[in-house]
Amino acid sequence: MSDLRELYQEVILDHGKNPRNFGPLPEANREAHGHNPLCGDKIALHVVLDGDLVQDVKFEGAGCAISMASASLMTTILKGKTEAEARALFEQFHDLLTSNEEASLDQLEALDKLAVFSGVRDYPLRVKCATLGWHTLNAALDETGETVVTE
Amino acid sequence: MSFAIDGAHPHDVGTILDHEGIAVRAGHHCAQPVMDRFGVPATTRASFGLHSDYDDVDTLVSGIKLVQEIFG
Repeated sequence: MSDLRELYQEVILDHGKNPRNFGPLPEANREAHGHNPLCGDKIALHVVLDGDLVQDVKFEGAGCAISMASASLMTTILKGKTEAEARALFEQFHDLLTSNEEASLDQLEALDKLAVFSGVRDYPLRVKCATLGWHTLNAALDETGETVVTE
Repeated sequence: MSFAIDGAHPHDVGTILDHEGIAVRAGHHCAQPVMDRFGVPATTRASFGLHSDYDDVDTLVSGIKLVQEIFG
C-alpha cells in the first residue's frame, strides 16, 4: 500500500480527476495528437508558441490517472519556458521515470512539481502513460503533423 | 469477466490489483468496437485459471475495494 501511495500521490489523483488547462485553444499555432493504442489514451495538445517562448498550452483527451495528471502538470509548468527549456525538462523527466538510480535532491528540485511522478519508476509499464503528453509536446514543437504513438 | 469501476481507469485498476497480487488484463482486449458500443475507454478483465481458489477471489474483491478507496 505504501508504494501504491507513492505512485498515486494526492497531487496526481487531483490532476487526474480535475485536469488543469483542459480544453480547446483556438489561437494555438502548434498542435499534435498523441495516442496510446493499447490503453486507448488519447490526447490533443495545443500550444501558442511566440518565437521561442511557450506562451500558452492546453490539452484535451481521455485516459488513465497517470497520463491525464502528467499532461495536466506539464501544462502548468510549461508556460513561459523556451522551446529548449521544455525539451530539456522532458529529458530530465524521462530520466526520473526510467533511471535505475534514485533521483538526487538537485534533480528533484529541478523538476519542481513533476517530482511527484518519481513513483512511476517502480512501474515500468506506466512510463508510457506518464510520457504521452510530453512526447506529444515534442511532436507539436517539431511540427511533424503525425500522431504520436507510444507503444 | 470484464468490469469497470466508476472513476478509475482500467490501467490504474490493473496496476493496483497487480500490486495486491492479482493479475488481470486491462485495456481493449482487441475489441475496440465493443468498447465503443458500451461507451467505455477500456475495461478490466479477471479470468479463472486452474490454479485459482477462493482466496484469490477474496484478494480480488479486497483489491477492488482498495481501488475505490484510492480513487474514491
